[in-house]
Amino acid sequence: MASKFWNQGGDSETEEEESDYEQEDNGIAAAEEDKAGGSRYLHSESDSDDSDGEKRVVRSAKDKRFEEMSATVDQMKNAMKINDWVSLQESFDKINKQLEKVMRVTESEKVPNLYIRALVMLEDFLNQAMANKEAKKKMSSSNAKALNSMKQKLKKNNKQYEDLINKSRENPVSEGDDDDEEEEEDDDEFEDDVVQHEKKEPVEDEPKDDEKEDWVQQLNKKDRLMEKQFKDPSQITWETVDKKFKEIVAARGRKGTGRIELVEQLTFLTRVAKTPAQKLEILFSVISVQFDVNPGLSGHMPINVWKKCVQNMLLVLDILTQHQNILVDDTVEPDENETQKGADFKGTIRIWGNLAAFLERIDVEFFKSLQCIDPHTREYIERLRDEPLFFVLAQNVQEYLEQIGDYKSAAKVALRRVELVYYKPQEVYDAMGKLAEQAENEDSGETESGEEPKMDTSRALPAFVVTPELVSRKPTFPQNSRTLMDILVSLIYKYGDERTKARAMLCDIYHHAILDEFSTSRDLVLMSHLQDSVQHMDISTQILFNRAMAQLGLCAFRAGLITEGHGCLSELYLGGRVKELLAQGVSQSRYHEKTPEQERLERRRQMPYHMHINLELLEAVHLICAMLLEVPNMAANSHDARRKVISKTLRRLLEVSERQTFTGPPENVRDHVMAATRALSKGDFQKAFDVIKSLDVWRLFRDRENVLEMLRVKIKEEALRTYLFTYSSSYDSLNLDQLATMFDLSDAQTHSIVSKMMITEELHASWDQPSRCMIFHDVEHTRLQALAFQLTEKLSVLAESNERATEARIGGGGLDTLPPRRRDGQDYAAAASAGGSKWQDNLSYSQGRLGSSGGRSGYNTGRAMGPGQTGYSRDRGGQSRGAGGYSTGYQSTRYQDTAYGGTGRSYQTGSIARGSHMDGSTRMVSLNRGVRA
Amino acid sequence: MVAATARSFLQAATTEEEFSPALVTGQLLGLDVGSVLEVTNCFPFPIREEDEEIEAEGANYQLEMMRCLREVNVDNNTVGWYQSTLLGSFQTVELIETFMNYQENIRRCVCIIYDPSKSNQGVLALKALKLSDSFMDLYRNNNFTGEKLRERNLSWVDIFEEIPIKVSNSALVSAFMTELESDSPVNQCDYDRLQLSTNLFMERNVEFLIDCMDDLSMEQQKFQFYYRNLSRQQAQQQAWLQKRRTENMARKAAGEEPLPEEDPSNPIFKPLPEPSRLDSFLITNQISNYCNQINGYALSLKATS
Repeated sequence: MASKFWNQGGDSETEEEESDYEQEDNGIAAAEEDKAGGSRYLHSESDSDDSDGEKRVVRSAKDKRFEEMSATVDQMKNAMKINDWVSLQESFDKINKQLEKVMRVTESEKVPNLYIRALVMLEDFLNQAMANKEAKKKMSSSNAKALNSMKQKLKKNNKQYEDLINKSRENPVSEGDDDDEEEEEDDDEFEDDVVQHEKKEPVEDEPKDDEKEDWVQQLNKKDRLMEKQFKDPSQITWETVDKKFKEIVAARGRKGTGRIELVEQLTFLTRVAKTPAQKLEILFSVISVQFDVNPGLSGHMPINVWKKCVQNMLLVLDILTQHQNILVDDTVEPDENETQKGADFKGTIRIWGNLAAFLERIDVEFFKSLQCIDPHTREYIERLRDEPLFFVLAQNVQEYLEQIGDYKSAAKVALRRVELVYYKPQEVYDAMGKLAEQAENEDSGETESGEEPKMDTSRALPAFVVTPELVSRKPTFPQNSRTLMDILVSLIYKYGDERTKARAMLCDIYHHAILDEFSTSRDLVLMSHLQDSVQHMDISTQILFNRAMAQLGLCAFRAGLITEGHGCLSELYLGGRVKELLAQGVSQSRYHEKTPEQERLERRRQMPYHMHINLELLEAVHLICAMLLEVPNMAANSHDARRKVISKTLRRLLEVSERQTFTGPPENVRDHVMAATRALSKGDFQKAFDVIKSLDVWRLFRDRENVLEMLRVKIKEEALRTYLFTYSSSYDSLNLDQLATMFDLSDAQTHSIVSKMMITEELHASWDQPSRCMIFHDVEHTRLQALAFQLTEKLSVLAESNERATEARIGGGGLDTLPPRRRDGQDYAAAASAGGSKWQDNLSYSQGRLGSSGGRSGYNTGRAMGPGQTGYSRDRGGQSRGAGGYSTGYQSTRYQDTAYGGTGRSYQTGSIARGSHMDGSTRMVSLNRGVRA
Repeated sequence: MVAATARSFLQAATTEEEFSPALVTGQLLGLDVGSVLEVTNCFPFPIREEDEEIEAEGANYQLEMMRCLREVNVDNNTVGWYQSTLLGSFQTVELIETFMNYQENIRRCVCIIYDPSKSNQGVLALKALKLSDSFMDLYRNNNFTGEKLRERNLSWVDIFEEIPIKVSNSALVSAFMTELESDSPVNQCDYDRLQLSTNLFMERNVEFLIDCMDDLSMEQQKFQFYYRNLSRQQAQQQAWLQKRRTENMARKAAGEEPLPEEDPSNPIFKPLPEPSRLDSFLITNQISNYCNQINGYALSLKATS
């Protein structure tokens, strides 16, 4: 009591403002500090000396709002007195804004009387002013303008409150009573407070955030207020709810409508909805309004809203499973009163909505949030924990869709699930399962503590439509991620559309690759022919394809399939834009700036951090594969380095590193591989392996030991091959044992490697069984021979492109368009060895090729015959004709594809290019034979 | 027809062989008499390095040299220049440029190409060349597009014209030569010709051929690229035209003036520059040259064996 005394003594008039609660609080605090009473006293002394600002804590937000409002009303009154419409207009705008705030604070649907009274007053004054035409004329132009706009605004505004205004007009006396009835006792107090402090200046606006913080507590209060509005459960009819619902929905998207507020209002409505159908309808709007909470494409939905959204979806599913007769459809515009039909209605009820689309949107939001959140924070991990929540939702939606027979949408939903699972190795998958279980347990614990208030409210106001939790809130995971994938993927293959199927296939490939099933995975790629069609798909699918290929390459490497691994990975590294191709970060390009638009698009494509494929590992694997293939290859073709390049990337790196004057100890992945390459080309397998082993990316492999062992063996083998290629010419014979000890390989291994080299004619030698020696035959080509081969190769390339030009020409327009002069131009006819004339006659495509090759042979003979410029000129004629064909027709874009597909810059798969290359090479071989023969 | 004294050639040949791997050039002096261009003297340029200063010096040297020659009463009309070459790899843009330079001052000028490596084989490897008139016309206007070439009916063969050379000696020199001639049927030079490393010449030729092939494919690629772009541009133009036409139809229907069907400001109507064919012509010439050499060599081998 003593403390109270102090307080009273200390604070003068402010004391009265304080609510009892505050006083008590102070009291307790003071009591606790009883011993330090003196200081406390001093403290409050100083308090009282301070300005009013110090006391701001005491009033509740509600109070403040009312105060502000009444202050504004005062201003309005003053403005009316001096007939100042400009300031009146300002005040009116202000009061409207304040009204909003008041409404939010009091959570009431009921407009405060103060406001209504002000409106009435304003309207009366306005009418008066309008009637007085003389005065109107006298007004200044700005004033008159303000008057007019005021008139319109008021008209519009007052419509909303028409009933209330009329009511207040009818019985202006009973205002006070009205108040008492409508508002609680403390409201009454507020009213008093407002009166008392009318003259005080309106306190500065509090930031909105404060309100949000109080949200949870206010929810309680607000519900009570809402409850008051729909006071009597028996009075609420379908119509009232429907009307309210329409009103709220109409406000959606309008300026000045708080998005969060909208969500709250609708959420409340779901509780009072009369029929399940109506509840469903409202729930759908809640969900779509929740999607709107965050505008714009860049940001993501606030996480709590997202969670609520998921809960709402679950609720929707509950209702749908409970009432099987309700159909969700987004194609038909439903009947106005469709939702009126009650729970006992037996026929089908159609409601607008699209579950799969909602689910996809939720997934997108989840994905976006993961993109935005910094992956190195705790928040990110927290966010990842929400995955099971989404998973269960997707599972339920899918089940429901399957149940109603909408397999197409079900496939879409299944794809979303697949995309959650596919990148997870078994361990991570297990962890997710565990997490889901844990979350379930925690959830049940949480409902007791955290969700207490909610329970309360539901107890206070039992929802009209009670929906039991029918669908499971816990995701079920099959033991094995593979089984889950199989189930989902087979569903998709059966019912999905093209894109869904393709994506599912890619996810499937990826997943197989993760599980070390290289052959299955490879077969899937080859059977699906995705590499041919993926160029025509959207970018995100292309990214997925690239990722699948990367994973496939890693898988091949783990399995020891070096060539395959290199095949998968080399394309990714060809352009030096791996990051971009895998959507794991943006690479800066020196040559052309990106527009902000492009950058934004790119950022939206990025993969969340937890889905990243480790780039260092990928690079290491790629370069090592390249090294193992390229080093023996370089040794084999030492006299013509440029002829057969397996990995351009490695060659380039090697060139760069050779140009360095001083090579320091290796630092990054590249340096390591370069060092290893140098060692390997000298045949020093041990050093090569040691360097490679010192890379720390190997810890990322599950069976690190096995992989390294495999690598060791491979390096030894390739070292042996390199050695033989390089030094075989220096030997006459070489003992097997010697070789085996040199490279620390078993006799059998050495024997098999050497034999293989002999068979493929890489090594010109034979075994001498009794002495276990290989005898080398000196069948090396002379330099002239080698050059001749090289020349033939070059020639065939040239002939190839000539043919291509010719074919394009023939495909384009035939010979008719050719000017006659050119046909017999120059010494064409004279040149006509067999090939030339034949060519002229042949118009058809295949024969055209035949003809042109004939022409080439003619060219050769023509040259041999001596003056022979004729052959040339004919050849050139063909070329320029081809050129003509390009410009006239050029329908056969096929050549464009084959010729330039490989160099196509964006997200190329290069498979087509590769195909054509292979095609070309086979043709080349046959040509070579022809020449040799 | 070029008539030259053996002295002038020998002079040129000795300087060239002295600096053998490096290429040498020099001035040809003589008289233009009727249909015959007489080359009577020559002097080499100092070996040039790529430097402006030295180049200026070279010009001074040339003038000085001419002045000196005039003082000793020798023909000092410039009629062309000579240059050495390696296996006949002389058909370059630079050569053509030099030709054009000379041509500006001297109407009838000639370039004599001497190939030391070939004369090692025992053949007098001399060639007198001039540019054909039609080619020069084209070159001056610098348009080697397919259209123009077709119009002129010019092919790669027609770039250079080879002029027959007639080597003549003064009576005095002839007499001296007869005096010198030894009785034995073979001399050192013939022995030299018996060397077995015949491959070297072939190898070099094939190597050069390979390089040419590379160059030619590059040229071809250029053209492919050009035609691809061209066809793309044409497609764009067509699309644009189509659009414009439908637009015009609509305008016609609405009773408005139709828009013009040409829009020069539109970038898609900007003509793409066609790559010059000069390079590919020269390369083709070069290739034919190599082929001739190989053929000639092979034939001579066959004949001797």
